[in-house]
Amino acid sequence: MKLKLRPAHYLILLGGALFFVFPLMAAVEFSLRTNQGKSYGLANYRWFLHQDGFRPNLFMSFKLAALTAVLVLALMVPTVVYTHLGGAKWRRLIEFICLVPLVVPVVSFAIGAITAMPTIFQSSPYELSFLYVIISLPYTYRALDVGLSSIPLTTLVEASRSIGASSRHTLQFVVVPSIRSAVNGAIFLAIALSLGEFTLAVLLHWDTFPTWINNVSQDNVLGAISLSVFALFGAIFIVLIVALAPNIRKSEKIEESA
Amino acid sequence: MSTFEAATAAGTSGGGSLTLTKGTRPIKIRGKRSSLLPLLPFFAFVGYFLIYPLFTVSKDAFLDNSGHFTLANFSQAFHGVYAQGFLLSMRLSLASALVSAVIGAALASAIVRIGQQSRKVLVAIASVLANTGGVPLAFMFIASFGAQGLVTKALKFAGIDLYAGRFTLFSFMGLLLVYCFFQIPLMVLIFSPALENVRPEWREANDSLGGSRVDYFKNVSVPLLFPAFLSTTLLLFANAFSAYATARAMTAGQMPLVPLLIGNLVDGNVIANQEHLGHALAVVMIGVSLVVMSMYLVVLRLTKSRS
Repeated sequence: MKLKLRPAHYLILLGGALFFVFPLMAAVEFSLRTNQGKSYGLANYRWFLHQDGFRPNLFMSFKLAALTAVLVLALMVPTVVYTHLGGAKWRRLIEFICLVPLVVPVVSFAIGAITAMPTIFQSSPYELSFLYVIISLPYTYRALDVGLSSIPLTTLVEASRSIGASSRHTLQFVVVPSIRSAVNGAIFLAIALSLGEFTLAVLLHWDTFPTWINNVSQDNVLGAISLSVFALFGAIFIVLIVALAPNIRKSEKIEESA
Repeated sequence: MSTFEAATAAGTSGGGSLTLTKGTRPIKIRGKRSSLLPLLPFFAFVGYFLIYPLFTVSKDAFLDNSGHFTLANFSQAFHGVYAQGFLLSMRLSLASALVSAVIGAALASAIVRIGQQSRKVLVAIASVLANTGGVPLAFMFIASFGAQGLVTKALKFAGIDLYAGRFTLFSFMGLLLVYCFFQIPLMVLIFSPALENVRPEWREANDSLGGSRVDYFKNVSVPLLFPAFLSTTLLLFANAFSAYATARAMTAGQMPLVPLLIGNLVDGNVIANQEHLGHALAVVMIGVSLVVMSMYLVVLRLTKSRS
């Protein structure tokens, strides 16, 4: 028996949809206004595309996201794999440490970073990536841990080592490919977090795409609304692609085995 | 991305009490002693970029400007505008957590009943909405619920004047409304896995034993889901409590929420030489968050040990 939708559930869904769709639609409507609201057009979108700083800041955010993803992979994949093999007794501790960033408000963490980090480190915007690795720990750890729990890791590693592969090769050619989707998930989470992060960037005085949106929004309200619509629908678009992508891969696998 | 993924995990284990399935146990390679060496990069990274900053901020909170030990920063943090800030932040976080938890749970109970594919799409969208904040979120609400907003105008046309009373988007009620926009999706994300663990068979058992819908609700679903509900509500509180970008975009300095007060002290917008006060506020914030999150962990533990 499958649970059925009752009339009450339709009402709840409708109410929820209205609460979330109205602000989105209202923002879209505002963003298309031109000539003081007399007609509709794409002028506001053209405005922010031609603003100084649109491309450099978007590019900066992409660079930070890429660096964060690389750092997360290099740091977390070997660590979590090891906690599933010989280092099982450290697992609890590592799990606990990875939850700490959830407890620490980002503002507090930002103050800590400003106070503690040496000037040479704080003189480059790429410091943000190192801090993003920290605040993404709860999510990336979780993604990798779930992925590794679902494969016969010991067997795979023993097989690989018994035919003479080194630890590095085992990790690179056996473990990582078999948890590909978990690794992808961790990468995606790290990227999404870096692209949207505002608090650390603004408190450490760096310009990224989110802080740039904040700055330009003061000059042109309709332009800022268009920019918001662009950022939000961009994010929804990316997430939907990722959410629906695994299906394609699954069907490929079925074809291969057939 | 914010708290949702880890929180999803927590929600799953919260609901884990409902099923008997367990995850794979950690496995050890035979005859190998576990060494700490492969974990050194992790401990070094976390030690330097997480533990060290937190230690520094805690230490500095107890120092005055000349570097001597003092408790004055904390006594200042618990008085005047800062005490008000903490009260306001806690009130807003509590209200938004409770409202969003109830509405989010209702929404989640409807969402788990719809088809697999559309649910996947909704969950993906919820994960984006749960992470909206700052200027984009503020502008969406100004466009809809602001004085010139579309919803405000539509309601006025229908005879309801939102702005007849003291309501503005930048008041407590306005902020509450805005916070719900990212808190409700977060609740849906975290609470749905727990709901998915409720077996339809239990409903059948209730029905065949002659129980009514009220009996089922009272004796089965509420006792089963309450721990997951409670733990998620605590998480929502922590999430609202530390929200900075949205608070900054929405309040323009009118609402003294703690994250904003700290931000002002860091930027030196208010008075110079008050760094240590900022540190003390940051430490108190961690303290409040720590209390809430340990309650969350206790609730999760209790739930787990019952299964």
